[in-house]
Amino acid sequence: MKNVNARKEYDVIVIGGGATGAGTARDCAMRGLSTILIERLDFTAGASGRNHGLLHSGARYAHTDPESAAECIRENIILKRVARHCVEETRGLFVTLPEDGLDYQNAFVDDCRRAGIDAELLEPAEAIRLEPAVNPDIIGAVKVPDGSIDPFRLVTANVLAAQLNGADVLTYHEVTGFVKDGTRICGVELKSRRNGERSTVYGKVVINACGIWGHHVAELAGVKIAMYPAKGSLLIFGHRVNHMVLNRCRKPGDADILVPGDTISVIGTTSTRIPFDEIDRMEVTTGEVDLLLREGVKLSPMLAWTRVLRAYAGVRPLVASDHDPSGRSISRGIVCLDHETRDGLSGFITITGGKLMTYRLMAQDATDMACRKLGVDRPCRTAEVPLPGSEPDARDEERKAHIIELSTEMKAAEGRHGSWTGKIAAGNDADDALVCECEQVSVAECNYAIEELHVNNLINLRRRTRLGMGTCQGELCACRGAGILERHHKCTKRALDDLASFMAERWHGMYPVCWGETLVEAQFTSWLYQGVCGLEKEPPRHEEEMNS
Amino acid sequence: MKYDTIIIGGGLSGLVSGICCQKSGRKTAIISAGQSALHFWSGSFELLCRKGDREVIDRPLSLVDSLSGQHPYRKLGAERTAALLSRVAPLLAEAGINVAGSLERNHYRLTPLGFLKPAWLTLDDYFMLSDPEELKGKRYAIVNILSYLDFYPRFQAYGLGEHGARTVTADVNIPELDILRKSTTEMRATNISRFLTDAAVDRLAKAVNDASKGTDAVIMPAVLGMFSDGPVRRLRSQVERPVYFVATTPASVPGVRCQLALRDYFIRLGGTFMPGDTVVKGERERHRLRRVFTTNFGDMPLEADSFVISTGSFFGHGLVATLESIHEPALGLDLYAPEGREKWYDKDFYAAQPYMGYGVTTDAGFRPAIKGETIENLYATGALLAGFNALKEGSGAGITLATALHAADKITSAL
Repeated sequence: MKNVNARKEYDVIVIGGGATGAGTARDCAMRGLSTILIERLDFTAGASGRNHGLLHSGARYAHTDPESAAECIRENIILKRVARHCVEETRGLFVTLPEDGLDYQNAFVDDCRRAGIDAELLEPAEAIRLEPAVNPDIIGAVKVPDGSIDPFRLVTANVLAAQLNGADVLTYHEVTGFVKDGTRICGVELKSRRNGERSTVYGKVVINACGIWGHHVAELAGVKIAMYPAKGSLLIFGHRVNHMVLNRCRKPGDADILVPGDTISVIGTTSTRIPFDEIDRMEVTTGEVDLLLREGVKLSPMLAWTRVLRAYAGVRPLVASDHDPSGRSISRGIVCLDHETRDGLSGFITITGGKLMTYRLMAQDATDMACRKLGVDRPCRTAEVPLPGSEPDARDEERKAHIIELSTEMKAAEGRHGSWTGKIAAGNDADDALVCECEQVSVAECNYAIEELHVNNLINLRRRTRLGMGTCQGELCACRGAGILERHHKCTKRALDDLASFMAERWHGMYPVCWGETLVEAQFTSWLYQGVCGLEKEPPRHEEEMNS
Repeated sequence: MKYDTIIIGGGLSGLVSGICCQKSGRKTAIISAGQSALHFWSGSFELLCRKGDREVIDRPLSLVDSLSGQHPYRKLGAERTAALLSRVAPLLAEAGINVAGSLERNHYRLTPLGFLKPAWLTLDDYFMLSDPEELKGKRYAIVNILSYLDFYPRFQAYGLGEHGARTVTADVNIPELDILRKSTTEMRATNISRFLTDAAVDRLAKAVNDASKGTDAVIMPAVLGMFSDGPVRRLRSQVERPVYFVATTPASVPGVRCQLALRDYFIRLGGTFMPGDTVVKGERERHRLRRVFTTNFGDMPLEADSFVISTGSFFGHGLVATLESIHEPALGLDLYAPEGREKWYDKDFYAAQPYMGYGVTTDAGFRPAIKGETIENLYATGALLAGFNALKEGSGAGITLATALHAADKITSAL
């Protein structure tokens, strides 16, 4: 990676390439702090890339946790402005099924309004008119400003923003230890996941923004945070069933949210405590799949005959209150720990808890704390300045004036890169050719991602462009993508190994839902890659993790 | 409607059975849903290429006796299998498909990703080797068509280089293909093949000559000749060096050509081919299947004295998996396929997947059963059968062809 000077002392080292870490790096860099963002694998490789992609209105928490609800709706409004190219304003419905009863709904609307959420009570018939996919048996419905958000785009945009403001970025570098000067942290020791090389980066403040993995990172620094991993499993359906987010209007439970995103819908989640040794190899069980389908069908009966494309699981970092060593009192709110006052270890901050929705606020809290430590007094501007890709686009007005209709592949690219789509240099017809037809990803978009967005392998390319995420799950585009990566990296062996790993990774999310057309697709993919093409086994080591 | 024989499934297996039945004078109909595994063909047929982790080269049929008792080759026996398979190349030649290879010894094919893999029969204009040693010191030009994304010269160059060959790679273009590039999804094999005719082939040959100077032979993507091998012959006659083709990722142009050639041969012989139709149920009288009903013909039955079912595996929709169980949708045949979907798969993509071995169970004569009762005038063939992992063994085409010919023999000898 470019521009990394190991002997330089940064103001801030941010560990963790999820939404919180990327957001923190952006905030720090925008406040003029010299910043480096360090990620063990790839951006969004952890919980940030494994959730519903729900732009919460906060209504989900209005009854149980009014403070979180108010936080959510504030961030909801901010993200619609500063991250508009990552957001789709679908709106949402909280629907009451006969089995749930109307008691919850009666208090729900008032709870929402108290938290500042614009909740509108609808007649069931009106709700069905707005969202024909909803269960027609509903006895109540409330409309709320839910939406969907693409976490891959969001994190990429935050990384780009951090870099634009001077931050350095290192992916595939794992923190293996800390450099200490007495009771002060002054740097991190790193090991490259790609070639095993060790290095040290120095900084005045280190921010641990690693989600559940922050538990281990804190241990490396010699401090203890009582975190508990909670697995949440989700299913992706092969096409977009619903237009609006559908929620069960009841206390939060399993499989009570169906979120439309791009061309698909996602149902989730389950919630199960898991041991730490499972956080890097989570599996979706048959029981979880059955539960998600059973409950999902209650929200939208169509799901019963919709193809399930894939299953995946994310892990929530639950943080026990410092005053409760038993770990029973779990907070879902933002936890920002100053290890100087808490543990006597200066120069070290942990930001954890929270949700994707509140990543910006978490970043603000952590950056505020870092600024106080560094004696810097500059205001946070992340709520006002649009992310790269969400800037006002002069072409918008022109298009409105001239009613310019874009091709579907141009629309797809604009959806992913917003106002930065112009950076995709489509110089000729060959570069316009589609690599991934399901997700409409062109050669030029792949080239742009490889050159500008930290792409080392096919999994990275998938996260930046959605290549291989569509209905064929990489069946036809993975080879093409490998061919393009080979041209950039000029190492055929590496490209072949990468392709073999990528197909194994796609299968990891398919086998839990391997019946019907998904099994058909899996058999075809096996025939093609193993039979026709002759890929026979996964290479022994790959730089990317094996996770769904 | 009444036929002597009805064949359910119009892939390689069904077509070969149909041709043989029709040749013996039986009035035969093939009901085809439309998909064929030939559409993503490698250009090679495999007989038996692997035993466990070991690649098999010499005398693959000598391994038949070591296979499990339910394996189709084992049911046929090595001798019968050899006798059946020795009829394949001549039969394909009758249909206009020329292949090379022998039952005694597998050869090697070159995959789109540059691996050398064993094979039994390969289209005679494809790249093939008896021994990787032949590559030492050879110079190849691997020539792709500019911006065609489903062919991988650099992977092939790497693979051939591992065996001591020297390669150059080049992209060539002819103006006839520029129009395809104007659309973002048109540079695909079957589309390209439509433009590579007559003068376009001549121009392509010239470009290939320019790109392959100083080499011993040319390797190209198999994107010529969807409806006949005319363009292939035209190109080869004008390129100054031998030209060998390598499979592309789907769709396979030679695969479509072969499927059409077999279909046309069947029709020329007087057979009835019913495309785009699916059998939805059958009716029995005692232990014999009497008639089948299809989507298109509705309540009008199709009757026959004998039937063959060759509807393929999951990919061909010959087998259907629901959330709970696996069934054979056309006739409800008895299967080997355990309930409980956790048993169906291995978490390692590259391991032998249990589901690959599922399929219709039969007696020693390849006659399937319904609820334990053998259907006396019905034969099951090809990928629909249980008892083998075609992908891991490299045995799919051999089993398909042997069982298809065997079923036709049984039917025609019963006349």
